[in-house]
Amino acid sequence: MIEEFSLTEEPKAPDLSHCTAATRNACKLCTPLGACLVFRGIEGAIPFLHGSQGCSTYIRRYLISHFREPMDIAASNFNEDSAVFGGAKNLHAGLKNVSRQYKPALIGVATTCLSETIGEDMAALLLDCRRAIPDLPPVVHVSTASYRGSHIDGFHDAVTALIDQLVLPPDPHGGVNLLPGMLSTADLRHLRELVEAFGLPVTMLPDYSDTLDGPTWMDYEALPEGGTSVEAIRRMSGARATLEFGDTLRFTRRTAATNLAERFGVVRENLGTPIGLRATEAMIQALERISGRPCPPAITAERGRLLDSMVDAHKVVFGKRAVVYGEADLVIGLTSFLCEIGVEPVLCASGGKSEHFPTALRVAVPELPSTCMVRDNMDFADIDALGKELKPDVLIGNSKGYGMARALDIPLVHAGFPIHDRLGGQRVLHVGYRGAQQFYDQIVNTFLARKQEKSTVGYSYL
Amino acid sequence: MRKIAIYGKGGIGKSTTTQNTVAGLVEMGRKVMVVGCDPKADSTRLLLGGLAQRSVLDTLREEGEDVDLEDIRSQGFCNALCVESGGPEPGVGCAGRGIITSINMLEQLGAYEDKVGLDYVFYDVLGDVVCGGFAMPIREGKAEEIYIVCSGEMMAMYAANNICKGIVKFAQTGVVRLGGLICNSRNVDRERDLIEAFAEKLGTQMIHFVPRDNDVQRAEINRKTVIEWNAEAPQADEYRALAKAIENNKKLVIPKPLPIEALEALLMEYGLFN
Repeated sequence: MIEEFSLTEEPKAPDLSHCTAATRNACKLCTPLGACLVFRGIEGAIPFLHGSQGCSTYIRRYLISHFREPMDIAASNFNEDSAVFGGAKNLHAGLKNVSRQYKPALIGVATTCLSETIGEDMAALLLDCRRAIPDLPPVVHVSTASYRGSHIDGFHDAVTALIDQLVLPPDPHGGVNLLPGMLSTADLRHLRELVEAFGLPVTMLPDYSDTLDGPTWMDYEALPEGGTSVEAIRRMSGARATLEFGDTLRFTRRTAATNLAERFGVVRENLGTPIGLRATEAMIQALERISGRPCPPAITAERGRLLDSMVDAHKVVFGKRAVVYGEADLVIGLTSFLCEIGVEPVLCASGGKSEHFPTALRVAVPELPSTCMVRDNMDFADIDALGKELKPDVLIGNSKGYGMARALDIPLVHAGFPIHDRLGGQRVLHVGYRGAQQFYDQIVNTFLARKQEKSTVGYSYL
Repeated sequence: MRKIAIYGKGGIGKSTTTQNTVAGLVEMGRKVMVVGCDPKADSTRLLLGGLAQRSVLDTLREEGEDVDLEDIRSQGFCNALCVESGGPEPGVGCAGRGIITSINMLEQLGAYEDKVGLDYVFYDVLGDVVCGGFAMPIREGKAEEIYIVCSGEMMAMYAANNICKGIVKFAQTGVVRLGGLICNSRNVDRERDLIEAFAEKLGTQMIHFVPRDNDVQRAEINRKTVIEWNAEAPQADEYRALAKAIENNKKLVIPKPLPIEALEALLMEYGLFN
């Protein structure tokens, strides 16, 4: 009788499979969001959106809920008049006000859909502002129409714009440049620690590890301390190498690292995001090569502990099926690690539109089963539909997949951005042996907890 | 109220034809408003006697949205009501959005309300409908009749054909229909036959053939329509005839635009290339 009940059909969701043009619950965010995040990682910088105010409000709310830190984003506040006659007047007034009120070291101007569509000539407008506003700090501009690309494109384009527009002719120094990509504040701190452990001074661009994960204040700080200094960015041309993380960037013709290589001959070391054993090893080897020093024992010890724990718990995770989603390069890193520990990824999904994602993933993780679906340009409706068929045991990604985890009655292991339903989303450590260790423990414990929850017996010894 | 939009290739004489025709209608005692939908704001010069007029968007920019209708609407020849949308200088901003803003503002200010007692509103739209904004007058039922100004020159006919494609698209969701082609003669050989044949192929009519006459230029240099400048001139009667033809026109159609090959064949047939 009970079985019969459970077999009765549930009300069917409307069939929207024909609506291929519609995005339902996007697995990507606004392009200028990525640019604002980068500008927040520059010391004393303020992000400034050329467009309507809502763009700034949306991005602020989204970032604040993840980082749980305040974040000011200025805007030129377009109105009907600016849409028709162009936003020159608003840009001028905005830059003047922001210079006066914040006294920033840099203003990072990102465009919006509206200012891009009316074809604002940003280079000319900013030149006019530079002439007309005395004491205007350095201004870097990046083109971020949100109908072209996603937040990750805005992120990389902002890094490239900073390097393109700020870097001065080389004055050689022994440091290295590190372009980490879009990672957590814990990741950025750990990466700095790792590079410095090899005796290498590092300029990490961007570095929002303090500005978006700082202590409490007595008084509100509109521009919190921390970040990469403009001076350090100017000197990136003199570094001995640029470490650039991101497998998809290897296939991209123009990146911030190629800019430094082509203009100043700085060696470009493209590596996968160092998530898991293999990618971290590649990074450690690169650091050994660049510094000429062996890996410090403390780091080797972390690697040893990671391997030991893999032996301890392999039977818990082996053969489990996972759906991984998020930014392409994060997904590649996570997928690589999952394959190392015996979890079987059944779907690797990215919301961005990177033609390089499937290739980069297959190259980085050659053992990935050919049956694993690799898809870009996905929304959560697509992922959800595939998820139902693939019957995964676990979801790995940001908090936007929670609804799907709930519907499928499987756990969600949080990774990436945004994490809006847990404390400390900004401090999830993904990278290095240490990140792999934490991530591994979390996955194992998730399965163990699940086993307890689903058991009719209250086992306390697993 | 008849709602009419005039389209056509750039430089074909849309503004001149519109104003001269409107002069014919107001002379007949009709109440007409002309809305210039061109950022250059030169669509009402002849009706206003060259009076410099503040455009809707200039007013918006200078005074915000707290504007009176009388700030942006002027009375011209025989009480013709004249409005210029205006817009940004070339290369800046978004002129298309300007048209949308401007027409919305005219509606808000009550320019189309019954108490104004309009018999006609004419939208004079710039030559190239380059984006959605310039199609605003034929969307949402704002204009219901389109007249296309053309000549026997190939590019003018090509543009007219393209505009017909736009009308077909908007006709599916709205009430807009083609009222006919106005041939503004360039003294091309067999021009009348050619445009009549072209109109027939499009499923419409040549509503009037306006001959080329230097009196149009003479009136223009005096900042007047032909009817106002010299009511006795033969060309004044041509515009009166066009005004009357529009007044009596019942033939409103969804056009059938031609494939480019058919358009070229038509030009060959009427000997343009002989």
